[in-house]
Amino acid sequence: MLRAWLDRAQLDPPIPVWIDVRLEQPPTLTDDPRPVFRQPGVVVRADPSDGGVHLTWEAAPAVAEVHATQPQACVTLSPSAAARLDECTDTFLVTVLIFLLRRTGWHHIHAATAVDPAGRGWLLAGDGQAGKSTTAALLATQGWRVGTDDTAFLAPLNGCVTAVAYRAPIALRPPGYRLLGRLGGTLLPRRRKLGYWPEELGGRFAARVVPDVILFTSVGIGPTTATPLGARESLAQLVRWSAWVMLEPDFAQQHLELLADLARQAKSYRVTLGPDLFARPARLTELLA
Amino acid sequence: MTVRYLRHPELRFTAVEGEGVVLHLRTRRYFTVSESGLAVLEALAAPRTLEELVPVVLNRYEVTPERAEQSVRDFLERCLTADLLAVERVG
Repeated sequence: MLRAWLDRAQLDPPIPVWIDVRLEQPPTLTDDPRPVFRQPGVVVRADPSDGGVHLTWEAAPAVAEVHATQPQACVTLSPSAAARLDECTDTFLVTVLIFLLRRTGWHHIHAATAVDPAGRGWLLAGDGQAGKSTTAALLATQGWRVGTDDTAFLAPLNGCVTAVAYRAPIALRPPGYRLLGRLGGTLLPRRRKLGYWPEELGGRFAARVVPDVILFTSVGIGPTTATPLGARESLAQLVRWSAWVMLEPDFAQQHLELLADLARQAKSYRVTLGPDLFARPARLTELLA
Repeated sequence: MTVRYLRHPELRFTAVEGEGVVLHLRTRRYFTVSESGLAVLEALAAPRTLEELVPVVLNRYEVTPERAEQSVRDFLERCLTADLLAVERVG
C-alpha cells in the first residue's frame, strides 16, 4: 500500500529515497529540547542539523527519524496508525517525504501548478482557502495541463527552477465543486471533499512545470484582479509558502537561493480570484497580458 | 575595549533586485535590508568593528564619512534589536 502511494505520487527524485517502515509500538520520545515546528497533525523537531529530524504523528502513535544529511528515514507505525494508512500517508508520511526530498535538492512549496495551452508554466501559491484547487480544476476544464492543486517540489533542472508535482486528485470543497458545476469526482470522506483527476475534467497531468507566471492567490467576492509584484516582494511571498526554508541550517541557503531564482525567473502577481472567473476563465490570462 | 559585531550563525540571506532578503532561522522571521545593509552583512562574514564597517558604505556611495558612520551605526542598532547580530567585547 505504501508502494502504491509512492507510485501514485509519480515523483522521480535525482537520488533514491529510502523509507524503512516498522510495524510496532513506537518508542516514547524522551526529552527533546529542540524547538517544535508544527504542521497540521504532525510535530517536527528539526534543529540542530546534526541531530536529524524527528517527526511525530498526533493522530495515532507513529514516529519517524530522518537522517541528518541522507535521504533515509526510519518510520515506526503502531498498529492503530497502520490501520489508518490513508490518513497517515496524507499527513504524516508526506511530511517525512518532504524532508527526504529536501536531501535530494527538492524543496517543498504549498502551490498548484499548471501549463496553459500556449505552453507557459504557472504556479499558484497560497493557503488552504486561497482558491488554488478550484482554479486548478477550472483550468483543467479549459484543457490546461495540471500538475497538482496543493503540493509541489521546487528543483533546479536544466538551468531553470522547475516545480515537480506530487500527483493527487484535485480536492474540492462543496463551494468549489458547486462553482465548477461538474458531476463526478471521488468522495474523499476524511477531508470532506470531492477529488478529481485533471483527466476527468478535460485536462492532462503535467509532472513538471517550469513557472513563467506566479500567482499569489486569495478569494474575493468582486471581480478578479491582478497586481504585479517585484522580485523582492515575490520572494517574500515564496518564503511564506515554502516555510520549510526556515528549518535545517544546512539546507536553508540552497532552499533560499532556489526561491530567489524562481522569483527572478517568473513574473509574479497578487491575484484576487472572483466568481467572474467561472463565467470567463480566459479572464485570468487576459488580466496578465 | 573594542566592540566587534558578528552575524547570528543562523542567518541566511540572498540578494534580489539589489536588496537583501534575510532569514533568521532561530526566530523564523524574515527581513529585507537595503543594498548598503546587505553589503554590511556580507562584510560581517568575520567579526568587525564599526570602524572597519564604515568603509564598506564609504567605498560604495558618495557620502561623507560622518554620514556613512551614522548609516552603519543605525543599521547595526536595528540588526541588534532584531537579534540578527551579536557583539563581542575584546580587550
